[in-house]
This record gives sequence, C-alpha cells and structure tokens, in this order.
Amino acid sequence: MFQDRRIGLWLLAPATLFVVVGFLVPVIILLSGAFRTDGGWSLGNYLDFFGSSLNREVFWRTFRLGLTVTLVSAILGYGVAMAVVDKGPKTKGRLIAMLVLPLMISPVARTYAWLVILGRTGFINVGLENLGIIERPLRILFTETAVFIGLIQLFFPLMVLPLISALENMPRDVVPAARVLGANWLTVFWKVILPLTKEGLVVGGTLVFVGSLTAYVTPAILGGSKVLMLETLLYQRVSVANDYASAAVIGVILIAMSVLTNILLKKLASVRKA
Amino acid sequence: MSDFLKLDRLTLGYGDTVAVEGLDFAMQPGELVALLGPSGCGKTTTMRAIAGLMTPMGGTITLDGRDITRVPPNKRGVGLVFQSYALFPHLTVFENVAFGLRLARVARAELTQRVDTALAATGLLHLAQRLPRELSGGQQQRVALARSIVVEPKLLLLDEPLSNLDARLRLEMRSELSRLQRELGIAMIYVTHDQSEALALADRIIVMRDGRIEQSGTPDAIYERPASVFVAGFMGFENTFVIHNGLLAGIAPIGFEVRDAVGLAWRPHSVVLGQGPHRGTVAGASYLGQVVEYLLTTPLGDIKAEAPASAPRHAAGDTIAFDLPEAGVVRLPRA
Repeated sequence: MFQDRRIGLWLLAPATLFVVVGFLVPVIILLSGAFRTDGGWSLGNYLDFFGSSLNREVFWRTFRLGLTVTLVSAILGYGVAMAVVDKGPKTKGRLIAMLVLPLMISPVARTYAWLVILGRTGFINVGLENLGIIERPLRILFTETAVFIGLIQLFFPLMVLPLISALENMPRDVVPAARVLGANWLTVFWKVILPLTKEGLVVGGTLVFVGSLTAYVTPAILGGSKVLMLETLLYQRVSVANDYASAAVIGVILIAMSVLTNILLKKLASVRKA
Repeated sequence: MSDFLKLDRLTLGYGDTVAVEGLDFAMQPGELVALLGPSGCGKTTTMRAIAGLMTPMGGTITLDGRDITRVPPNKRGVGLVFQSYALFPHLTVFENVAFGLRLARVARAELTQRVDTALAATGLLHLAQRLPRELSGGQQQRVALARSIVVEPKLLLLDEPLSNLDARLRLEMRSELSRLQRELGIAMIYVTHDQSEALALADRIIVMRDGRIEQSGTPDAIYERPASVFVAGFMGFENTFVIHNGLLAGIAPIGFEVRDAVGLAWRPHSVVLGQGPHRGTVAGASYLGQVVEYLLTTPLGDIKAEAPASAPRHAAGDTIAFDLPEAGVVRLPRA
C-alpha cells in the first residue's frame, strides 16, 4: 500500500505502544510474580497453591465445568445450527437475531434473571411445589448445576454462530449425496458434517471453553462462595486475603489452560484434515 | 406390473407450492430416459423424489417391484449425480469413490479392487490420491460419476451432469456417458434443459412443463412430431405460430388445411424464400458454409430461414417474399 514501508510501521506505533504498556508489561509482571518467592525464582507458589485441597477442588471444578459446558453447547449447538441453516432466509434471520439478542444484554442482568428462576421462591421451585412434585424447595442456586446452566446460557451463542457459518459454507448437496450413497443421519454427521465444520467447532469450542474458565459474574452470583471457580477464587485471594502470589498463580494457570486448549483444538482439527 | 420404475400420480411440492402434479411415468430396465424441460418445470424435483430426498405430497414410487415411496434415500439403491457434483472436499478421489462401499462394509480387498475398476473406467486412476479441489471440472464430474456407479445402483439419476462443463468437454463426456451406460446396462434418468443432449443420449425423452408431462416418446418421434407449440419451441423449431380464427398468428391466411391443429411450425430449411404470399425484411444474414441463414422481420414475428449458399443472396434491408408451405409444416395439436 505504501511506497515506503516505514510509513506503515509508524502507523503501527500507537497501537504497539498501547499493547506493550497496557498489556505486555502487566502480564510480564504478573507472570514473574507467580514464579517468585521471597525475592528468588521458584515454583514454590505453585506447590503452595496445589498443596491446598480447596484450591485443587476449585481447579478441577473449573476444568470440569469448562469441559462440560463446551461439550453440551457443542451438542445443542449443532442441533440448533442445523435447524437454523435449513430454514428460509426470513425465518433464518429472525432465529439468528434471537440467538444474538442475549449477547446485547449485560451478563449481570442475564445472571440475575436466573436468580428469579432458580431461587428458593423462583419459578421452578414454586411451579414444582404447586404441582405437588416436591414438598420442600430444591436447592438449585449456589450449586454447580446453577453455574453450569448460567454458563451454557451465557456462551451458547458463541458456539452456535460459528457453527451456523461453518454449516452455511459447506458445499451444496454433500449431505444429500452422502445419504444417497447409503449413509444414515449419524454417519452423515460423523463422516461429512463434522469434518467439514470442524473449523467452526474449534472457534466455538475455544470461545466457550475459555469464556467459561474466565467468567466471573456468573459463578459469583449463581455459585457464590460455595461453588468457587478459579476466577472467583482469584478475586477472593486479592480482595479478601490480599494474597497476590496465589492470584498470580491462578492467572498463569488460566492463561496456560486457554492457550493449551487452543493449541490442542487446532491440532485436532488439522489431524482430521490429512 | 413388470415396469422397472413406476411413478403413480406423484405430486411433489415445498410447503404450499406444488412443483409437480399427478406425474405418471414408467420405465424399463436398462432404459435411458431424458427428462427435458426449462428450469422450474419440476424435473429436478422429480429426480430428488425418486432418490428419496423429498417426501411426496401424494402418489407412489415403485422400483423393481418394491414400493419405495417412504423408504429413506440410504436404503433405495438409487444413485444420483448432482449438478454441483457434491464431492466430499475433505476426502481424496479414492475415498470419495470408496464412500458408499465403506458404508456397505465391503471387505478391504474387494473395496480396493472395485474402486480401482471404477476409477479406471472413468480414466481417473492416476488421480486417486488427489483432493477434489485439485481437479478440473471435467475430472470432478468423472469422480461424481465413478462414486455413483461403484455401488452398483439399480437406477442412476443424473441431474444436469454436464451443464457446468465447457462445450468441448460436454461432447466428450456425453459420449463417455453413453458408453458407460451401454457397458453397465444400468437404467438411467438424465435431467437436462438441453434438447441436443437429450436427443443424443436418450432412448426416450420426456418433455416436462409446469410440473406435468407435456410429451413422451422416442427422440425421433418428439423431434419429428412435437405434440404442442411448447414442445416444438423447445425442440428447436424456430418458426412456431399459433392459429387464431383460422389465420396464422391471427393475421395471415393459411394456404392449406390445418385440420385440428392449434399451432403450426416450420424448421428454417422448410421456409421458401423469394416467392410466396408473405413479405418480410431481411434483418440479418449469416453464412454458415453449406447454407445461408436469414433472419426476417415480418408481421408474423421474426422468422428464421435457410437457403442453399448457391442460391441468390439477399442483403440486410431487402424486402423479400417468402412462403410457409404445407410441405415441411408440422401440425401442433396442443398449445
């Protein structure tokens, strides 16, 4: 575009400066903090962190919830995406608008709505009591189930939208072609749809998994202090315990998990391609 | 009933729109039938219904003595070559062709042998390890064909299989198809909007219009004796006229008995130039070697006429007399 490439570099400068000062430097400080104890380099903070059974529990819970939320939204997502793609342009537009709409509402408001639904005197408990199915209200709020429901609702669009676009980019008629060649619906999915939409699945899967790992509002409101996740634990460490070392460790763990997931999913996608 | 494939009052549609209404049609084993018609006439819809890709609103489909109207596409034994080829982009040519055999759990040695045979028959053996996107249009079309024939379907459907190829390739693939059909002896239905393709390939042509069968017969019969103004127009009769009040196009007297025809048609070489009751202005003349083709502007509409190159030439702008004689007329009993 430019005769002199240096002009291009100058245009990059403000953004680079911003990233370095606003992102790289703090991250490096954080990362180094996580590897320092009493002025020396060590893995002591990690040993301390994983030495506590509460911390281990929180780590596994975060990992488990991230995985199940991703898996369940992928399964539901394929169903919804295939149904949406099959519709005429008008219905399709409306359905996609409905899927996108929640993204425009603050996650705080969305999460509080779940309090109304899942709470002790919420829709579900009152409904079930009136139907005589239960005698005492169920404890849904402040359980892993509540966090799971909240996270699914929060991140589902991020799974469906890439899947819809991947399905729409599939070449015409490959599905009927597989059907005519003798494939039942399950085989069509495994042998044709999945391999041809795996890029969408990788994008959606990464967004949902990383999103679930790093969500704060949903586990804070729906899980409270009973169902801590890494993110809520991190906040507690900093604001309650003033324990920056643990907080840094959690930060590093979260970054590592996100990066590893991305690398792993991309690997998975490209292996199938060959 | 000994018919191999039989469609009985088949009605097809999407939602409220009916695309095909009350279609009756039967074909014999080993026959090659062309479904011919303009786009939107319901020929592709009919094909999809036979393959099981859409459920009929009414009527039945019987294949080889078995009612397959509600049978899912994977259990019909019907092959389909798509207009878009619909190759699996993530699989090699070999795996594309092997797809149906793997689903049928054919043993490895037999699978390799059958795929290789199909690839050899379509001249693709050397491309077996390529991906579809690395092939030309003609090669992709052959893969689609090989993939469909390797599973030995009872009936092979071809949906405008040559329409995405250039003219030279189309001719080449046309003779290839005809050879394969002779060698395999497989029944085929060939959907096309190209009358010359239908004439060249088919044992029988079915002309469709607005979801109904307009005329069905051998290529000769349809070419020589089109049953309607529509078919005549579609089969390359350039000069087709409707009769109004006993007059040609409602304006010119006809010099002979029309009997019960509602339309009359002449091929360009049947139009006599230089004499006769009609007048027209030469709008264009094209020298085609053996003959000169003239386009005349006349009160009847545009007329295409041919004269031997040795006859006296007419220049653009000349007003000349011409005749639409009884010799060479085709009487069209329907509109």
